[in-house]
Amino acid sequence: MASLETEVLVIGGGSTGAGVVRDAAMRGLKTVLVERRDLADGTTGRYHGLLHSGGRYAVKDQEAARECVVENAILRRIASDCIEDTGGLFVCTPWDDAAFGDDFVEGCRATGVPVEEIAAAEARRREPRLHPEISRAFTVPDAALDPWKLVWSCARSAQEHGAQILLYHRVVELERNGQRVSGAVVHNELTGEEVQIHADVVVNAAGAWAPEIAQLAGCRVAVVPGKGIMIAMNHRLVHTVLNRCKLPADGDILVPIRTVCIIGTTDMRVVHPDELEVTQPEVDQMLDEGEKLVPGFRESRALRVWIGARPLFSPEEVAETREVSRSHALLDHRERDGVEGFVTITGGKTTTFRLMAEATVDAVCAQLGVERPCRTHEEPMPGSEGGHFYELGSRLRALEPVPESEQIICECELITRRRLEDAMARRRTANLDDLRRTLRLGMGPCQGGFCIYRATGILHAVEQLDHRAANAALLSFLQERWKGVHPILYGDQLRQARLDDWIFQGLLGVQHLPA
Amino acid sequence: MTHDTIVIGAGLAGLTAGLRLADEGQRVLVIAEGIGSTHLAPATIDVLGFYDGEVESPAEAFPRFADAHPAHPYARLSAELIAASIEWFKARFPVFGYRGGLDKNFLLPTALGTAKPSSVVPETMAQGDLSAGGRFVFVGLGLKDFYPAYLAENLGHVALAGSTVSARAAELAPPLGAEADVGSLGFARRFEQRAFREAVVRELASRVEPDERVGFPSVLGVRNVGEVWRELEARLERPVFEVATLPPSVTGIRLFEAMTAALRQAGGRIAIGSPVVGAETGNGRVEGVVAQAAARPTPYRARSFVLASGGVAAGGIHVDSYGKIREAVFDLALAGLPAANGRPPFLPTYLEEQPLDRVGVPVDDRLRPVGADGRPRYENLYAAGATLAGAVPWQEASGNGLSLATGYAAAAAILERAS
Amino acid sequence: MTELVRDSLDHCVKCTICETFCPYSQVTPLFPGPKYVGPQAERYRGSGASADASVDYCSGCGICTQVCPQGVKIAEINSQARAQLWEERGIPLRNQLIARPSVLGRLGTPIAPLANWALRNRPLRALADRLLGIHRDAPLPRFAGRTFQRWARGRPSSAAERSVVYFHACGTNYYEPGLGEMVVRVLEHNGFQVVVPPQDCCGLPLQSNGNFKAARAYVRRLVANLAPYARDGLPIVANSTSCGLMLKREAHEILGVEDEDLRAVSEATYDLCEFLLLLHERGELRTDFQPLPLTVPYHAPCQQRGHGIGKPALDLLTLIQDLQVIDLDVDCCGIAGTYGLKKEKYEISMAVGERLFTALRESGNDLAACDSETCRWQIEHGAGVHAVHPVELLHRAYGLGAAAAG
Repeated sequence: MASLETEVLVIGGGSTGAGVVRDAAMRGLKTVLVERRDLADGTTGRYHGLLHSGGRYAVKDQEAARECVVENAILRRIASDCIEDTGGLFVCTPWDDAAFGDDFVEGCRATGVPVEEIAAAEARRREPRLHPEISRAFTVPDAALDPWKLVWSCARSAQEHGAQILLYHRVVELERNGQRVSGAVVHNELTGEEVQIHADVVVNAAGAWAPEIAQLAGCRVAVVPGKGIMIAMNHRLVHTVLNRCKLPADGDILVPIRTVCIIGTTDMRVVHPDELEVTQPEVDQMLDEGEKLVPGFRESRALRVWIGARPLFSPEEVAETREVSRSHALLDHRERDGVEGFVTITGGKTTTFRLMAEATVDAVCAQLGVERPCRTHEEPMPGSEGGHFYELGSRLRALEPVPESEQIICECELITRRRLEDAMARRRTANLDDLRRTLRLGMGPCQGGFCIYRATGILHAVEQLDHRAANAALLSFLQERWKGVHPILYGDQLRQARLDDWIFQGLLGVQHLPA
Repeated sequence: MTHDTIVIGAGLAGLTAGLRLADEGQRVLVIAEGIGSTHLAPATIDVLGFYDGEVESPAEAFPRFADAHPAHPYARLSAELIAASIEWFKARFPVFGYRGGLDKNFLLPTALGTAKPSSVVPETMAQGDLSAGGRFVFVGLGLKDFYPAYLAENLGHVALAGSTVSARAAELAPPLGAEADVGSLGFARRFEQRAFREAVVRELASRVEPDERVGFPSVLGVRNVGEVWRELEARLERPVFEVATLPPSVTGIRLFEAMTAALRQAGGRIAIGSPVVGAETGNGRVEGVVAQAAARPTPYRARSFVLASGGVAAGGIHVDSYGKIREAVFDLALAGLPAANGRPPFLPTYLEEQPLDRVGVPVDDRLRPVGADGRPRYENLYAAGATLAGAVPWQEASGNGLSLATGYAAAAAILERAS
Repeated sequence: MTELVRDSLDHCVKCTICETFCPYSQVTPLFPGPKYVGPQAERYRGSGASADASVDYCSGCGICTQVCPQGVKIAEINSQARAQLWEERGIPLRNQLIARPSVLGRLGTPIAPLANWALRNRPLRALADRLLGIHRDAPLPRFAGRTFQRWARGRPSSAAERSVVYFHACGTNYYEPGLGEMVVRVLEHNGFQVVVPPQDCCGLPLQSNGNFKAARAYVRRLVANLAPYARDGLPIVANSTSCGLMLKREAHEILGVEDEDLRAVSEATYDLCEFLLLLHERGELRTDFQPLPLTVPYHAPCQQRGHGIGKPALDLLTLIQDLQVIDLDVDCCGIAGTYGLKKEKYEISMAVGERLFTALRESGNDLAACDSETCRWQIEHGAGVHAVHPVELLHRAYGLGAAAAG
């Protein structure tokens, strides 16, 4: 078995893990990150992309609100390329108590969330699709945060500082040396090989999967997976983040992010974060809530639905997960369980990932007996050096006019062949969903109907795949995509799906590919 | 203006019905929201390609098929009528040189390198027949919709009874001028230029091997049907064929142009861009349909009506976010509905038959939509094409076959009634 | 902006059918195509600055919207994006000028001979080409030197049981008053009193050049004049199919005008051939036509097809004995209103129209029929064939005179 030596081993490639590996690497610690699938394939890649202003927590969870205020400002500096400065609105719909607006403002003032009340008419002028009968509106500095870009920027930053990132490496064992955790054995899912990693400190940043990992060290972590579904609508019905002005509940956020807007989310306690299913009542709930913010929501085109499992940490078991605090929990197992060299960081939200990482690496340093200051709040991440926010039109502008030498492969998401081939060369993957996550390939209205056959052909050529591997990539993509569309197939998206059936099954005969 | 027949929908089913009627002297109006199936699907007439595995002979498979699927539109039609629709189609458009029939399917390569049975095939595609095996070279032109190396590799592993196929790819770099992102139709137009053809032949001629059949993506010209193909065969001295590619379907565009020109020549009218949104009915008859026009809905009257509005893909059958399923023009009774209330319970695996697949309008033997009691709702309303219930054409490989046969049958029923 | 139009992008299933029909993207790589620039790019347009300028190469012919099987309002999305673009850039003088045909008409009419000479003087046209960006060869109309309004006002109104309102538009008023006279005579022949209210431009060229604010002002003034008649139940007929479409649909759909006046006028507006055919279907059209032994190719302008009423001119003209009408069924002449006048677009415009010009030349006829004045001028320029509005043939067949327009 191959083996690796490192100081810090980070388990989990979501925003928390990426933040930890960056911070640790920047502090000069030798660090390796392992992730069982692709970066941001867990909770981070499945949320609605809201960079919280803190307004959502200003009344109910003021500690979380204050953290958001600070981290929002920091991320705007260091991750500007991952952020679109959409601004946010809290609005009182006919279903909300207008008086809560006063509590809201008071909470914002108390926690430092910049807030301003504007006339309802002004809110409707900015957002013509907003419900015509909203009574009050407040602006806050919410923004849209691209979680993949964020995590990939962190990972690249970490690599620039000497860290190693191992994807598709699943932890199968945590190695114990008496009362110490001394490393892990990981399984390379692509090659089948196992790798032994010796580490001084192991950080469990596996989010909703943290209990499974902790279990490998004989430690118990009471994380309650809070299942939430989100629906991406085909185009931006609004360009500002819309929040219902009330105590946090289901389906009360509509986030414009890149070319879509996302309605979320539900909250249901589940037992395990894998094998989750979208249920019809949840879908109806999201559509109905969307209708309250944007009349005509149900006639709009729903593009894709997915599930995220939030890691909610609570020392006590609770039945109603919304009651659990969103602030993070850093568990030093030395104190809790008498196990050295092992810490778990869980809970929290992507907006405060950097803060969580800072606390974690502080604890890691303590365990290593070194003192290194955190600089992650100072140094911009790769791509964000210029301090420019992401602009919705950037992909369009980049192809304006379409360069003569370019072929556009994914037309919905404006991905050129060159860009696709570069990503293939970088990722060295035979999995089209990895490319989907990196580039948004096949994430547009046609959900791959036109581009996925093309991408498979290109993958076959560029990666010199055997036809079976290419076929497997194609079929796997189609199945993944079906998971995300079948619960919301109606109206326009159903027409698209049927056209895509004609293309994949009728024209191309994918069902007749050798198994 | 009262027409003899109004056909709703300008896909293959609608155009077939309209043309048959216009040829017989009826005053026909084909009215449609937009352009239909012709531009999306290849212009092969697939009658029945897959039933219990590959179908070698639709004629042989029909009786079993109809027995097993009594709700399928084919069960409403006699084998004679289906054969007649094919003979009519082949004779009506000799320029395409359609070959084949119900006795034996061609086996054509798809752009993915799988094999697809097709019953009636234009001459520009016929030499792609894999049934007898052989050696094939597939030509890449830099078209982003065609990957001959991938195609050839898959094709080489296709299981054929009693013959072998060997396939390879040849990548050319034809002179595209200033643009790299040329689509199928762009290539088709370029193939109409002598200089372009010369360049292709020059580059390819030395690279083809003896006894090889040469496969191109379906881009061999769009006007002057067949000319480019014939020239390439002559210059390369080998059989040449087109492989169907992603939309837009160049073979389908050729067919659309021919059918609409024929319809016009026969005195028919075509109105594209006028969605039919409702109907005027009474006494068990359809008196007229109402189309959306600028500023005002516009009524059209006729003696007979053919609904060829397409199925789910075209919006002829609409499903809303509550799961309510409706035929969009006449609100006709539907068959093949999923049992559940609410949104259809799609199955979690993509490649299996899904609850909505067979939904559509049920018809009697005269192609008239029927209600729950099995009786025609309107005595002068007929339906054809993907609007009909009971078929899964993208899995059966029966799409154009159904459209042609049911469009033909609807016209036949109307003519019979008129006489 | 009208959200109805933007939201129609949801219906796009990327089928590419619009792209196969777009006459402009076929001839120039500067226009990536209607699917690209319409529903696809619209998802990338936000509240920030326009990211794409290539939308300016959309001509607004509207063929894409007509052929789309899913009901995406592609050309309308493009119009709105173009307006946003020009609002940010500032509309150049040239576009402001050519978008105001009634202003130009008022200026040019009193000095028509001089103006006409100047517009055909090669050195002056070369100067206009360089300074303003109006292509030196672009087909500009001739000022008639008199206005249709003046003729209409100077005419005793014939008493008749029924009345109809005539929306003649700028083209007829300043450039083809003779055509307007024919329209009036044909309507009077059929028992109508023709009311010609004071009227100015409908704002269509301003709209297609991206000046929505000015376009709205014009159309509101126009419908304020026409609305009282509409509310009295009078039909309003328009011989310019593009201006008619503006009143029927585009002012509301593209400009977002929600006026009650506009609503009343839209519902009452008919294309001239549409109106005459409806009369015929009710048995109210006089069919005392003399035979016209002619073969006349007919080109239905893009915006005539945008009415969604089929091609009533064809059915009307079949009523005239011996008249053979050939439906050319070729997409676009290329002029697209003011598009083909522009220096950077003239070649594109001529390339688009080539199929039509060739078909006309090869038909060997010296007369063609077409409902839109700018298309007629383009046809004469590109094919060298004289083009008339279909009503001229009716006028001739009724024996009311064979005078050519203007």
